[in-house]
Amino acid sequence: MTIVKIDPLTRIEGHLKIETVMDTNTDSKFKEKFRVREARSTGLMFRGVEVLLQGRDPMDAQHIVQRICGVCPIAHGIASCMAQEVAYRTEATANGRLIQNLILVSDYIHSCFTHFYLLAALDFVNVKAILEYKGNDPKISGLKQWAQQELKDNRISPVAPFLPRYEGDYIENVDVNISLLAHYVQAFDMRALAYKMGCVFGGKMPHTMSLLPTGANVNVRVDDILSAKTKLEELITFINQVYLPDVALLAKSYPQYFKIGKGPEAFLCAGVFRESNYDMYIKPGVVINGALEEFNQEMITEDVRFSYYSSRSKMHPFESETKADPYKQGAYSWLKAPRYKRKAMQVGPAARLLVQYARKNNHEMCQLSDKLLEEIGGKPGDLNSAMGRHLARAVECKFIAERAMQWLDQLNPKEPSAKDFDLPETGIGYGCLEAPRGTLGHWLKIKNYVIENYQCVVPTTWNCSPRDDDGQPSAVEQSLEGTLVADAENPIEVGRVVRSFDPCIACSVH
Amino acid sequence: MNQISRREFLKMGASLAAMIGLGPLYAPALAEGLQEIVYGRVRILWLQGQSCTGCSVSLLDSASPGPVSLVTRYMSLAFHATLSAAQGQVAMDMIYQLVQKPGYVLIFEGAVPMGMPRASLVNDKPLEELLLPAVQNAGVVIAVGTCATYGGMPAAEGNPTGAASLRKFMEAKRLNTGNLLAVPNCPAPPESLVGSLAYYLKLGMPPKDPQFHRPTMFYSRSVHAECPRYHYYQNSQFASDFGDEHNCLFKLGCLGPISFSDCPRRQWNDRTNWCVRANSPCISCSSEYFCALKDVPFFRKGEAYRALKKTVNKSTESKSQGE
Ligand code: SF4
Ligand code: SF4
Repeated sequence: MTIVKIDPLTRIEGHLKIETVMDTNTDSKFKEKFRVREARSTGLMFRGVEVLLQGRDPMDAQHIVQRICGVCPIAHGIASCMAQEVAYRTEATANGRLIQNLILVSDYIHSCFTHFYLLAALDFVNVKAILEYKGNDPKISGLKQWAQQELKDNRISPVAPFLPRYEGDYIENVDVNISLLAHYVQAFDMRALAYKMGCVFGGKMPHTMSLLPTGANVNVRVDDILSAKTKLEELITFINQVYLPDVALLAKSYPQYFKIGKGPEAFLCAGVFRESNYDMYIKPGVVINGALEEFNQEMITEDVRFSYYSSRSKMHPFESETKADPYKQGAYSWLKAPRYKRKAMQVGPAARLLVQYARKNNHEMCQLSDKLLEEIGGKPGDLNSAMGRHLARAVECKFIAERAMQWLDQLNPKEPSAKDFDLPETGIGYGCLEAPRGTLGHWLKIKNYVIENYQCVVPTTWNCSPRDDDGQPSAVEQSLEGTLVADAENPIEVGRVVRSFDPCIACSVH
Repeated sequence: MNQISRREFLKMGASLAAMIGLGPLYAPALAEGLQEIVYGRVRILWLQGQSCTGCSVSLLDSASPGPVSLVTRYMSLAFHATLSAAQGQVAMDMIYQLVQKPGYVLIFEGAVPMGMPRASLVNDKPLEELLLPAVQNAGVVIAVGTCATYGGMPAAEGNPTGAASLRKFMEAKRLNTGNLLAVPNCPAPPESLVGSLAYYLKLGMPPKDPQFHRPTMFYSRSVHAECPRYHYYQNSQFASDFGDEHNCLFKLGCLGPISFSDCPRRQWNDRTNWCVRANSPCISCSSEYFCALKDVPFFRKGEAYRALKKTVNKSTESKSQGE
């Protein structure tokens, strides 16, 4: 038995520790020497956002909650607006919904590029291949000369941030490596471009300014529509010609990762991108062991037995509280453990896509996913895997970006983007939608015109929570069980599985 | 290493000088500052406390120099938790190796949970244990963003962790704040961070205000004074509804008058837009007031309701007393 700890697990958002217990692998079919018996996921940073919101003006919320996460602030802002709309007994205007969708799409696209290229790719791409580059692309040869110089100068941490790294089975083909590295470089500019598109409507990214219950501060302007369109067109080209093909290429290079990192067969999706006040582009739903149900936020509870809180356990978020107890015996994470009907759920792009399959919705999205899966001899069920999550993310990215083109056309410069509303002395509301990393919910109670209680259940809280009161491990903890590891000193396989969930720890603890 | 020509450096130096408001004479010096970052003479250690990673994301929105050159050549980013390939023990070893060679640049993002050290752990130990030697041995310490500068959102009234700025942490540990530079805004604008760094490397510590250590070149003029809607303010033409493009946003809650940052000129995301142009009142994300007090909300809409309630309560109170 070997205990292997990765702390800090980098190239995710925030402070995460993964601790695994590994046995010697006795199955001679596989060359790997170790097998993960069990895993523990630990979030290491706490701010108490829910606590400091108490007693504040409810309209402060959409700005404060965006600061929960600098990678996916927009979903938090919109969840808060939705919760406020319910509490104020009002609803979003057509322009308001569209503008919120467009800023959110910009955040989704930035998040997809950031995750695949900047965070996950370095687990597969052999950065050292750059030294063998012979072409004349100025950016890549610039990178090559820089790397050569760094190595020659014999400095501490040469070629950082790319080296040092775990050693392992990186891509061997030089051309594939170089092409992916070239796209890695390009992705930096593309993710900045995605944010520029959101900035056209939001005023600033990340932490956007214009979100407001019922819509947005910003008015629809024809010049803004044009400016956003130009940017979106370029993004769609990159998605279709670079991002999707790269993910497909990686999938073909590592088909075994469709069998690695399988999480619980329990998928949650709250739906996202409001098409009207009653309908969403990505439809909500829950699939547990193949059976489809309607999504119902009342089924959510939060456990804290293994979390650093002395709050009451198994509470619905409306009743939930956040009382920190940093020295609590037996606890091992700052994340609470949310459960749906007492089950540990898996959330994120793969869960969303599997819910669309089950609901027979977004047909074209499912078709493209089928086609890509066929190429490696897979089926939809294989989306529940480390590589499946990458694939689902890329497929979804294409369709929401293309849908956003239509939203741009639906904007009406003659109509306002928000409407007036009354603030109630008391009220309750909730807003549930899908953030890039999965299901997000905000629950709000107002008393005396200020916030009485505010609770957030966040995508990574679902995926990376500690065990619940019944001892049930979370999606990440379950997905690591059984993972084969070649070298316990370089547990690159563990990092790949964890990163496929795109964890965001600042979000998950908040 | 000749990919970037002297002329390109000069061009970037000039645009940087213009942005800082220094005039073209300074362009060559700043160009050399940039060049120095390029040739990796300084190593950067980027640590995060109670942060949301927004400032790191914002750095990647840098336009000139662009993000790739920034993180490879310009910044010599020895370690950054979001970008480094290194993880686990490999990463910790590298950080300690770096900290043992004084003179590097430390960039710190986020607040320090001084009232609850276990609210930010690195390798099972409170962040403070790593932060202390990292600050002590750094040539210059840059607090990036509003959390590191003042405490920001995590330090809002009623927060449970005793979150504090890097400055307060340094003062509590009796460290000299002479080499501290703070670049606020939520998130920190890439222009201000890169500009401050280039200036420091070439011309030494930029002029900074004594209280918060902010470089005056970016943080001495108020948003209000440079706002294109300032003339509406002077004429007392105020918006009373959201969506009013042709009046000053002051009465909706705009905090531009107490926010010192060059947002109207610099703008965001490669000059794509900024708050007031998007019709959004300034929430003072650059100042020590940001999120600080429950009684200073971002929007003033709720004030009227609460005031009304107070008067109603008072009148019912006096009534019941009279009875
Ligand atoms: S909108 Fe704000 S910053 Fe602009 S003039 Fe009015 S109060 Fe000042
Ligand atoms: S205008 Fe105000 S809210 Fe906007 S970025 Fe500047 S300081 Fe922050």
